[in-house]
Amino acid sequence: MGMSAASSVNEAMKLCIFDLRRGQHEGQELDKILFFFPADLPFPTQLSVIGLSEGLITFTRIFSPEAPCEVIDAEMHSHVFYEAERDIWMVMVVEKSESEAIWRTDALRNVLKEVHSLFVMFHGSIRALLDREPSGGLTRTHLYYFVMDYLSAFEKRPSLELCCWDFLSGKKLHLPNFRDCLKERGKVQMLTIGREAALEVQSLVRVLESCAGCTQCYSLIMFQDLLVSTTLSPDDLINLFTYTVMRLTPNALSAGAGSWSYLRKGSSTSNASGSLLASSTSVLDRYYSSRDTSPVGVRSYQVVRPLQHDKWSKGKDVFLVTDIWGTEVGSLSPSSPTIWLKQTEERMYLCAFQHRSLTIILFIPVTSVHNGEQGLSVVKQQILENASPKIFKVEEKLSRGWGGENAYHVSGYRYLLVDGDRCISRASPPGKVTTLTKDSLVAMNKLREEVDLEKSRAKCDGSDCEKDQEICIRAKNGAWVISRVTRGKELYMVLEKANETLLYASEAVEKFSDRYCSGAFSL
Amino acid sequence: MPPNSDSSDDDQNPKPNPYPNPKPSSIDQPLDVIENQLASISIVQPEPESDTNGTSPSKLTKGSLNENFGGDNGNLRHGNVMEKSSSSKITERNNSGMEDMEEPSSPSSSGYAGERGSSNGSSSGRAGSGIGEVDDEIHEIVNNNSLDGVLNSHVQWLPGKRHGSEDDASISWRKRKKHFFILSHSGKPIYSRYGDEHKLAGFSATLQAIISFVENGGDRVNLIRAGKHQVVFLVKGPIYLVCISCTEEPYMSLRGQLELLYNQMILILTRSVNRCFEKNAKFDMTPLLGGTDVVFSSLIHSFSWNPATFLHAYTCLRLAYATRQSAGAILQDVADSGVLFAMLMCKHKVIGLVGAQKASLHPDDMLLLSNFVMSSESFRTSESFSPICLPRFNSMAFLYAYVHYLDGDTYLILLSTSSDAFYHLKDCRIRVENVLLKSNVLGEIQRSMVDGGMRIEDLPDDRGSRSGAVSPHLGQPGHATYSSERFDEAFLGVGGPAGLWHFIYRSIYLDQYVSSEFSSPINSRRQQKRLYRSYQKIYASMHEEGIGPHKTLFKRDDNYVLLCWVTPDFELYAVFDPLADKALAIKTCNRVCQWIKDVENEIFLLGASPFSWWTVPGNTSLPEFAEISL
Repeated sequence: MGMSAASSVNEAMKLCIFDLRRGQHEGQELDKILFFFPADLPFPTQLSVIGLSEGLITFTRIFSPEAPCEVIDAEMHSHVFYEAERDIWMVMVVEKSESEAIWRTDALRNVLKEVHSLFVMFHGSIRALLDREPSGGLTRTHLYYFVMDYLSAFEKRPSLELCCWDFLSGKKLHLPNFRDCLKERGKVQMLTIGREAALEVQSLVRVLESCAGCTQCYSLIMFQDLLVSTTLSPDDLINLFTYTVMRLTPNALSAGAGSWSYLRKGSSTSNASGSLLASSTSVLDRYYSSRDTSPVGVRSYQVVRPLQHDKWSKGKDVFLVTDIWGTEVGSLSPSSPTIWLKQTEERMYLCAFQHRSLTIILFIPVTSVHNGEQGLSVVKQQILENASPKIFKVEEKLSRGWGGENAYHVSGYRYLLVDGDRCISRASPPGKVTTLTKDSLVAMNKLREEVDLEKSRAKCDGSDCEKDQEICIRAKNGAWVISRVTRGKELYMVLEKANETLLYASEAVEKFSDRYCSGAFSL
Repeated sequence: MPPNSDSSDDDQNPKPNPYPNPKPSSIDQPLDVIENQLASISIVQPEPESDTNGTSPSKLTKGSLNENFGGDNGNLRHGNVMEKSSSSKITERNNSGMEDMEEPSSPSSSGYAGERGSSNGSSSGRAGSGIGEVDDEIHEIVNNNSLDGVLNSHVQWLPGKRHGSEDDASISWRKRKKHFFILSHSGKPIYSRYGDEHKLAGFSATLQAIISFVENGGDRVNLIRAGKHQVVFLVKGPIYLVCISCTEEPYMSLRGQLELLYNQMILILTRSVNRCFEKNAKFDMTPLLGGTDVVFSSLIHSFSWNPATFLHAYTCLRLAYATRQSAGAILQDVADSGVLFAMLMCKHKVIGLVGAQKASLHPDDMLLLSNFVMSSESFRTSESFSPICLPRFNSMAFLYAYVHYLDGDTYLILLSTSSDAFYHLKDCRIRVENVLLKSNVLGEIQRSMVDGGMRIEDLPDDRGSRSGAVSPHLGQPGHATYSSERFDEAFLGVGGPAGLWHFIYRSIYLDQYVSSEFSSPINSRRQQKRLYRSYQKIYASMHEEGIGPHKTLFKRDDNYVLLCWVTPDFELYAVFDPLADKALAIKTCNRVCQWIKDVENEIFLLGASPFSWWTVPGNTSLPEFAEISL
């Protein structure tokens, strides 16, 4: 059972990570492979995927040295490339066999970006790991657990609201396809709050900072799965927002008991995540027994698995606890989680606090906390004493103003709004998007692909200012499929019940823009 | 004897002589590496086919170029193309006659590019100011080749191969914007747009390796994307076609161009060439296509100006109904005497077309046939009889084409299934020519060439039955005085009413399109090409595989407003000033449709169309844009 059972149902997708600097000599090709899913594929098959990828990277460099191979589109498969770090490539191969298998390249690439970006946040760069231990065992082990947790652990999360994605539906990996065309991975969803609440939040942030007792700390405040306030840089924010929504928010913790259950399609009772990882050690061992250069055994690595799920829970105080990071030497209490911040290139303690729908995370530089865990518990004590009243107040205020999961639904519209500069997106609730017909969604998916292409071309040209563009399509089924791009902002919209005239559709966009985008897309 | 462009290019080539050192390690390395990467897999791969896959290309690279050269292949060709002895002479003559051709085939005088000489001269002068706009050729103007582009309006485009001395080691070759390759399934080069096919053998083998590697995995590679570059593949039995381009054209368009390129080859050879590959996988096809470079290069050039290449429709020369009728009558007359198809063409525009009984001619075949005729200089000098194949009609069989130029641009093509038909077709031609001379059809054609087709400035005003009040202003619908004035300004300064700059109308039943002449501000070749590319892109979006065609598409970017409208009867593509008002643009589209309806028997070939169910002229029922979209 174990791996083989899991992979046989998952063969529709392959994901590999390889290093072009390794295994350049005949007979050592296996050394290139840092990760391969499904792991039990025979090595020749794995090598053939990587060989093709490598060959085409080299080939396309003849003509496009700056931007080598990004996509291979074949009759039955698409290969999506992402150069995560210099010479370290991630390639995802998806099948196009069934009717749901209509992909958008950028959406798939964003999955690769996300998993890599999260990996770096917890473990540092792949290259650094390889440098630390050139045999590759350390890197392979880390990648294996991390990516497998990333792919499989989603399975138990019932809600796929907003930016969060459930790759395993039943036993099959559910990758973002055309049905997700009105979502945007790698962006943050914000809670809209009134002026008064904003002031309360502001003062809470100040109190929190003073509790931490050091100036270089950062905070992240979430209400449900929406961002309320943060002091993080955009890059770090996206990672931590994603992680919080995946693992820490009340929805993530309750794993299924939440109010968002309408999003679930059937019950996800399968144990795929368990089975995916069941025989992990034997998989990794297999890599080593197959080659002669295996000075280190797999089991000797201490691996932190931050994406493992069901590992976070509410502690006896209001802080969230986990044993993912192991336990303190000489004590039974778990070690505090730490992450790398991109902005400061510093290791930070992650200290999470939850009160009802409100999740507050403080990031405190490891170096600034004396006595490690002890110092941290002093900070926690401070928060409990000084910030609690404010936290309760803010939670109450936000709860009162909260419009529920359909708060951002605009009747008649199915939309996605992306603000690239601020890394924010907002969209129709997924439950509303599912009311659209397949034809409309496919048309929108295509349109987005077109816009993606033009955006990437503009990037190649090195022109920072994105072009203004407006496209309104009346699809065969009569729906209007619309995109607007202007000054770094994008609006995508499907109007199925709109009148048939172009002017009517344009007016609908205008109205929406005036009302919800402060006129950003109005002419 | 290489044409001018080649010799001039030699000076500019960064490597004066690439021969002595064909493998400078830094540059040639990639190809070896790729093959190693692909081949290395075969070492570990247990499947037997991977072996052939890994080894065959590398064998090829080890210079087996000339193996089959000459050999017994010649016979094959003669087997099929006995009568072609004369036409092969023709093609040899082409190269020397190339310079003569440059003027007639320059796009500015080709009809689509606007017959008005006056606007052209000035525009190309203007375009010359930006060297960077040079056509398809190269990103940076490494070689400041005036022949390539717009620097000189008289030598805008030369048929035939250029940069023949380049190969994949040349930086300039790598920077060409759009490559086309034809190769055999064993990796032998058959045609390359740039560079010397023989020197590209290694590169060709790499392409073959990529295709067959994916094929061995039970799949077929269609497209590779890398930055702004796209590599598009098309496999046609033993023939592989590849386009490598950074022109931002949609995949669908590039694939369509490869299809046309393949069919152009079939037009010359028929698909029975596949049998040669069945007999001998390493069969070398290049001798069969000797001298046909001009045909391919002229087709490739038309991919950047001729809408027929993506619309899959043909266009007619604008003529009085009666004139076209009398031309049609005499063509019908000869068709009844056993001619399969009779076509009277002026450049790429159709004057008359008649098919015997139920035979119908696909617009793509017409495009390829006229390209074949126009690109081969020898057809101009004397009457010719040549075997050709119409791939959409019957890709396995040769037809026999009698071609005769009646004047500088007007030519008659008579097609027969019989190889003995020369004298009969000649008689037919004489009859046709006499009638055309007598009825002054040729004179009318000349006049039409000078007058040009539809001009947006001539768009008649809205007759107002629907919109109510009609302003007395020239061509303007009733609106507030202010907007009316704005209109007039727009009218004078930038193209037609409401900022209309250009349009293409395609009749679905007729398989024909009409495109307006270029007017201000679409003056320069560069602007025309950009407009053309926008049409191409929007056409691809409209006809997206699986979900198309859409009903309406409105697109506004920095350059244009584009409005497309597809009904069961027709497709309209109209381009406006980027600041054009939506409502006015829609109105103007309706007026264009009405206008076309009014003049349809001048601009379209009715009744005698390839599709026989369309017989009643003037019976078009054009639905109004207004009723649908306003």
